[in-house]
Amino acid sequence: MGYFDVPEIDYTRYSNRQLAAVPLAVLAVALLVLSGAFLAYGTPVPLGMDFAGGTELTVQTTTAEGNIGAAFDEQPESVTGTGTENQYIVQFSSTDSQALSDQAEGNLEQDGSAEVVQSVSSTSASFGQNSQQTAMLGLVIAFVGMSAIAFLLFRTFVPSIAIVISAFSDLVIPLAFMRLAGIPLSLGTVAGLLMLIGYSVDSDILLNNHVLRRSGDFYESTHRAMRTGVTMTVTSMVAMLVMGVSAYVFGISLLASIGIILFVGLAADLLNTYMLNLSLLRWYKFEGVRS
Amino acid sequence: MSPIGAIKGNWRVLLLGAFLVFAVVALFIPGGIVADDGLASDSVDSGPTNLEFGLGLEGGTRIRVPVAGMTAEDIDTGAVSDDGTVDQERLDGVESTLQSELDLDQADVSVDVQDDGTVTAEVFNDNVSQSEFAAALQTADVDATEDDIRDGVTQSTRDNMIRTIQTKINAAGLSGGTAYESTTVSGDHYIVVEVPNMDADELRTILSERGQVEVVAYYPNENGTQTNETVLRGDDIVDVDPPEQQGEESYAVPVLVSDEAAPGFQQQMNDLGFTSEGIGDCGLRTGDGGVDFDHDGQRYCLLTVVDGEVVDAHSMGNSHGLASSMREGSWENDPTFQMGAPSQQQAQSLSVNLRAGSLRAPLDFSEEQVYSIEPGHADQFKQYSLLIGLLSVLTVSGVVYARYTDTRVALPMIVTAIAEVVILLGFAALIRMPLDLSHVAGFIAVVGTGVDDLVIIADEVMDEGDVSSERVFQSRFRKAFWVIGAAAATTVVALSPLAVLSLGDLRGFAIITILGVFIGVLITRPAYGDILRRLLTDH
Repeated sequence: MGYFDVPEIDYTRYSNRQLAAVPLAVLAVALLVLSGAFLAYGTPVPLGMDFAGGTELTVQTTTAEGNIGAAFDEQPESVTGTGTENQYIVQFSSTDSQALSDQAEGNLEQDGSAEVVQSVSSTSASFGQNSQQTAMLGLVIAFVGMSAIAFLLFRTFVPSIAIVISAFSDLVIPLAFMRLAGIPLSLGTVAGLLMLIGYSVDSDILLNNHVLRRSGDFYESTHRAMRTGVTMTVTSMVAMLVMGVSAYVFGISLLASIGIILFVGLAADLLNTYMLNLSLLRWYKFEGVRS
Repeated sequence: MSPIGAIKGNWRVLLLGAFLVFAVVALFIPGGIVADDGLASDSVDSGPTNLEFGLGLEGGTRIRVPVAGMTAEDIDTGAVSDDGTVDQERLDGVESTLQSELDLDQADVSVDVQDDGTVTAEVFNDNVSQSEFAAALQTADVDATEDDIRDGVTQSTRDNMIRTIQTKINAAGLSGGTAYESTTVSGDHYIVVEVPNMDADELRTILSERGQVEVVAYYPNENGTQTNETVLRGDDIVDVDPPEQQGEESYAVPVLVSDEAAPGFQQQMNDLGFTSEGIGDCGLRTGDGGVDFDHDGQRYCLLTVVDGEVVDAHSMGNSHGLASSMREGSWENDPTFQMGAPSQQQAQSLSVNLRAGSLRAPLDFSEEQVYSIEPGHADQFKQYSLLIGLLSVLTVSGVVYARYTDTRVALPMIVTAIAEVVILLGFAALIRMPLDLSHVAGFIAVVGTGVDDLVIIADEVMDEGDVSSERVFQSRFRKAFWVIGAAAATTVVALSPLAVLSLGDLRGFAIITILGVFIGVLITRPAYGDILRRLLTDH
């Protein structure tokens, strides 16, 4: 049935250790990347303007992309084109947005009748610091809340902790990806990470539910849970990829970062749910219960 | 099947239908479910729907900025006795000591009794250090150390400022502007001002003007040298009429002086000679609307001063009998007069400043957060987000169809997911929630989670071959719902911190997603189960 079908994996061929090794290795690498970055740069992930402070201008100008930087007293951190012709996003570490927009208006060629400065967004360093704390607090509350629900739902240690570990890994892997790909942490990516906490555990809950609360053979239940779960995750991944890529093309960074983070996180979730969580569940089902 | 039976059997689908109709009415019928409340009326007629858009999709500026200043709370001035009576003279004494010790304007120092009976001293100037402030308090015989002083101002000062700013932006002829307070997790307070269709420079100009209006008497003293003396302050003026034009380059703002200040003002005018030898004797106005203090002889002028700058200079006229009524002492019974301004614009801003009152403390723009977007650019975002939304829905539909290839399963799934978004949009239009980019992300997330749950229902119900009976269907549907409920709970818990904490623009995203989860679990997903049951059990 269908143009794509979820393949049946013969889990009996792999030991729990073998299954868990892959996601755990990925998690270890991710943690290594983050801690290395923390030691080298002071932050595990690069901080974007929302958290580090700075100014972002969207300008509409016929000045060539290469000459835009020269219009400002301060060298921009980056100049990137958006999907619209003659439109660029220019980022600065300075927070004097007034001076920067004045310089843009004074030194950049106007494109027809459009205003040179299409949008300004600026955050002071101290405000960014505040937002960092808020974001951190939000992530911790969300994670603890999700863990509490996992324990409430299954009321047994191993299946619940399996959900929590795999959700943790779902968060850490995209963070490491951000460091490697140079995607800065912004409000959008934080929203993506929070969404991920809620989204990624769905497939774990589904798997645990099928294996623990239904009668039937372990592998049979697993396969059924996978058929549903993989469909769910793949659907979401494709939707998020389309949203991320099209928003990136149109220059809407909030939607682009939410999309990309969820895509990477959900991909990590496939790995974590069907290898890490599954191996823990199988161990619990076949050996843990008896002991 | 009897009609009642039909309703009973399909109540979930009927409920979905009812919600959809409700949403469509709220979205598209002008005026919507609730009548216009006037405030938003001019933004409603701008589009084909009743949806309201926030700054990011409409254009405008938002500035988030802290108040400059510091506070010494609960200081022991000895001015408030145990029975609650306040020794105002002592408070004024402390205030003037602080003012002279710290070399500040009168407006930059405030010593007030708070609602709870404690006395609070505030200094609205970031150039003063905490130790200087403490030392000045010591000089005023107040036992306070540096530890008693914190950064920031009091709640009542912030409330007062928010009211003033709100009046100012309303008076600037901009509808839909708002000012409110936001507090961060670490307890820092910010004032947030949002104004549609205004750029950052304009808004910053409005907010950086303190708007302290004074009337200063400019007169020759006994030795014949010209002297300045403040005779009226903004607080003394209780009512303001709209500006009137009085001649070329001459505008006036009619004002009413308070009963408390009127007799003193009248007395001063008489004492200083404004109502006798000074009548009509000013003549400092230059041709181009400026004021020139380079003159010969003695002059009697009433200067209109805004934030320390002289805006206009007028003499006391007698055309309406002002000078004579003051001389006779009858003016205080009807204490009105006209404040001058050289241009329509200045008269307008003078009238706004008088009406709104002055900003109690300056704002610290070095700590600001600004977001500003041109209406044209915002409109582009609006179209793009619609496109991105449609693309996402199409993609999801494509994947779902590819997975099931059975139109009976896939089509209702897609229609249900879209219905969820329509209901949410209707809800947003109903409560006039201004939509921003973060809400768009929320809508797309709703489609994603919605379809996920529908996949769970479909897979569960169609498990182990066809559904043979109603009972089998019900039991499978209940099983599916356990997972959906659990998944919904985690999503709500994960996003609720965002809905409560003020983290930039993300509140909208969280609220829409959480609402979407509730609408999904309570209305659309049960209905999808019913639709699926009919389609699968009928044959």
